[in-house]
Amino acid sequence: MHAMFPFGFESHLSFYLVVYVLTLVTHVFLMTYVLAGSIWLAWSTIFPGHQSLPRTRQPLAMILRDWMPFALSGAITAGVAPLLFVQILYRQQFYTANLLLGWRWMVVIPVLVIAFYLLYVIKSKSISRWSFSLRCILAVSVAASFLFVAFCWTTNHLLSLDRATWPEMYQTRQAIAALGPLSLRLLMWVSGAFPTMSILACWQMFGMRSRDKNRDPSVTPDEWRELYSSDERRIAKASVAGLVVAVVSGCCYAMTLKPEIFSQIVGSSGGPWLLVAGFGVGLQITGWVVQLRKSRFCPRWLTLVTLTSLATLTATASLREVIRLVQSDMQQVEQATRSAAEVGGFGVFVIFTLINTGLIGWCLRIVMKRRRLE
Amino acid sequence: MSPIYPVNDYGPLMPGLVMAAVAILHVFLAQFAVGGGILLCYFQWLVMKGRSENARVFVHGYFKVLVLISFVLGALTGVGIWFTSIQVSAATIGEMVFNFHWIWATEWTFFCLEVVAGYCFYRYHQQLSDQACLTLLSLYAIAAWMSLFWINGILSWQLTPGDWLVTHSIVDGFFNPGFWPSLLFRTIVCMTLAALIGCVVVNIIPGLQREARQELISKAAHLMMPMLAMPVLGAWYLYTMPSDSRGWVLGGSPAMMLFFMISVGASLAIGSYALIGLWFKKLYINGATAALLLLLAFGATAGGEFVREGSRKPYTVRYVLFSNAIRPEEVAALRIHGSVTDDPFPIIHEKQLPNETVTTGAKVFRRQCAVCHTMEGSNAVAHLTESWDVDQMRMNIAKLQQTKPFMPPFAGSATELDALVQYIQWVHEGRPEEWDVANDPEVISHIQQWLDDAGTEAAGFVPDRRDSAEVLPAKAVVEEGSAL
Repeated sequence: MHAMFPFGFESHLSFYLVVYVLTLVTHVFLMTYVLAGSIWLAWSTIFPGHQSLPRTRQPLAMILRDWMPFALSGAITAGVAPLLFVQILYRQQFYTANLLLGWRWMVVIPVLVIAFYLLYVIKSKSISRWSFSLRCILAVSVAASFLFVAFCWTTNHLLSLDRATWPEMYQTRQAIAALGPLSLRLLMWVSGAFPTMSILACWQMFGMRSRDKNRDPSVTPDEWRELYSSDERRIAKASVAGLVVAVVSGCCYAMTLKPEIFSQIVGSSGGPWLLVAGFGVGLQITGWVVQLRKSRFCPRWLTLVTLTSLATLTATASLREVIRLVQSDMQQVEQATRSAAEVGGFGVFVIFTLINTGLIGWCLRIVMKRRRLE
Repeated sequence: MSPIYPVNDYGPLMPGLVMAAVAILHVFLAQFAVGGGILLCYFQWLVMKGRSENARVFVHGYFKVLVLISFVLGALTGVGIWFTSIQVSAATIGEMVFNFHWIWATEWTFFCLEVVAGYCFYRYHQQLSDQACLTLLSLYAIAAWMSLFWINGILSWQLTPGDWLVTHSIVDGFFNPGFWPSLLFRTIVCMTLAALIGCVVVNIIPGLQREARQELISKAAHLMMPMLAMPVLGAWYLYTMPSDSRGWVLGGSPAMMLFFMISVGASLAIGSYALIGLWFKKLYINGATAALLLLLAFGATAGGEFVREGSRKPYTVRYVLFSNAIRPEEVAALRIHGSVTDDPFPIIHEKQLPNETVTTGAKVFRRQCAVCHTMEGSNAVAHLTESWDVDQMRMNIAKLQQTKPFMPPFAGSATELDALVQYIQWVHEGRPEEWDVANDPEVISHIQQWLDDAGTEAAGFVPDRRDSAEVLPAKAVVEEGSAL
């Protein structure tokens, strides 16, 4: 690995890596909304604050409650594609990690089903009649479920990398070889979820702020606008904090890696992506700080933060693959993608991707036209 | 050689049962999602044509059920079926993904359309014109049916790979002999399930009078009328099946025959009730009866899926992969090299085993038998072999594909086979702490002779015309073509 990822490999491998990383970033973008959103909702339920409305009835919590089921549906659907391509690229590692975890991995599905239904419960109107403690238990359960799923994915990923420990892990039925790297990696992704969730939520708040119909009837329009502003400030602060914690935990995680892996991250393969991630984080922090000083969010800055966030996510996903490739049997990975490239069907995929993208656009246009009619 | 994966022990449950449970649930929900789209389009059309006053209420009520059941459980059991497949047979799902990953990726683009169109309707239908609603519902229905279209090609390829075996062309693999009958049959099943769930939903929508409910049930029953074509399509599907697989279903295997009959019987009961009761006599159906019919439909789905999975034996992908994830072309080499020589995974409770031979036997069991059998739970090897003496057991396992034609050939060395027999005998004897092993060269020589007699091919059956085209090696076909 002497060239910038994903270059320097056979063209087939580079191609599958690009497809995998792009689909993974799409999934992560939606997944962060659900993960960070559920933690935000749990926090705002436990700490309702002292403003004119409790935090759960303020604009951000209202938006999150309303959109999280759809975001989860989107995250699961978007997750199918990277789950498919990981089986082409790293079949043996992925399957073995799945099997070593066994039922501890399979339990992710019922947990997600329960969390999905609980999101609909949180969204329902009847929840306002529940006692404070019941609402807290519900919100914490949902957040804990998504954190558990994140924990399982991280465990699975780290196990798939550590080929040397597989026989021992199988015999001892252990799932975690080292708790330190796992905790740091998990912390990095969870804290990094906040700035990404904030971006999506900010765009939603930006669109909804102008529409008075969503206002809680118990507050005046002025109070409602003030609640928007306080949510925006809060979200900007959470994003900066999330980015800082993600960078620190990411650096600490990098320190736990073997020297030959670390040298690839800072070397020619991962180095450029490290720079992109560094610049991306810097620009995002700048963007959020600038937003904090304004009375309301500026779309220009928000666009900048969105683009840099996408670049940071892409860079982080690329670094993740550099780390994985260093620990993989490159001959096996190249052979797998070379054979996969001989299988037909790519043209069908391209054609239907274009058609379905157009049809998705049509669906959105129908809905947008409705909004104009309103 | 194919990679060796770790094997998990599910206690008294064989992995195949775990797979069946998840698969049946997912297929049921996914087929509901597909049929639900078609049903909703039909009812929306009725609204627009003014043919049903209550259809609008039904569309809104039904879609909520569809979202809550199909979008949540359907989507997640879909991911769950992938995870379960990995647990049960990583090699099989790997083979399917490898050969059809672009088809699966194409299906994914339809999932995306399905979710967007579905949620747009779900969130905004009350603010949209009827025409806009129909457009969204149509897009949802097309996307849902197309997801069936794509996955059907992959699933039917497992049993009837057809010319793909020779050409390895994705078109031949996808449009395999079982594709069309399976697709049409499944489409009718989808519509039937959607109609039956419709009958349940009609009974739980608040505020509807009995006449209104009766009218909606009668309209929903229209979607069950294509069931009339089921016998023809079922026969067509049976005809496309390889002759030996068809033989299992039509009496060769009592278990498979039983599940086939459950499926046929339940479908017949639903079809008769729909045709005579709901359509011809316009009978009213209450929630309990509708739920009972739905339960019958679940039984039919379960029976059908069991038959579909079981009839592939001894393969998971016909002529490509045996049910124990060993490839036919690997058997000869494994007979010499041994199937567990390179197995890096130790036996979990190795210390409880009395000696190395029994440990090897346990590894052979795990590699070659554990996907379909347990030692003492369901489909237990200890139970199946309890009437055999030691020599009989050695010979029957060595000639496994002749002993039981739906079993794959034994794919290990003579020493491994004897180790497996020792392991089974050790279990028969109540797992004693001490266990003597003779290691008699004459016994190994006998086993080798039986293995050689049996050969490395799967059960010898008389191939019919379609099968013989499948088994021709690629080179022979090319030469035949050039001679012509």
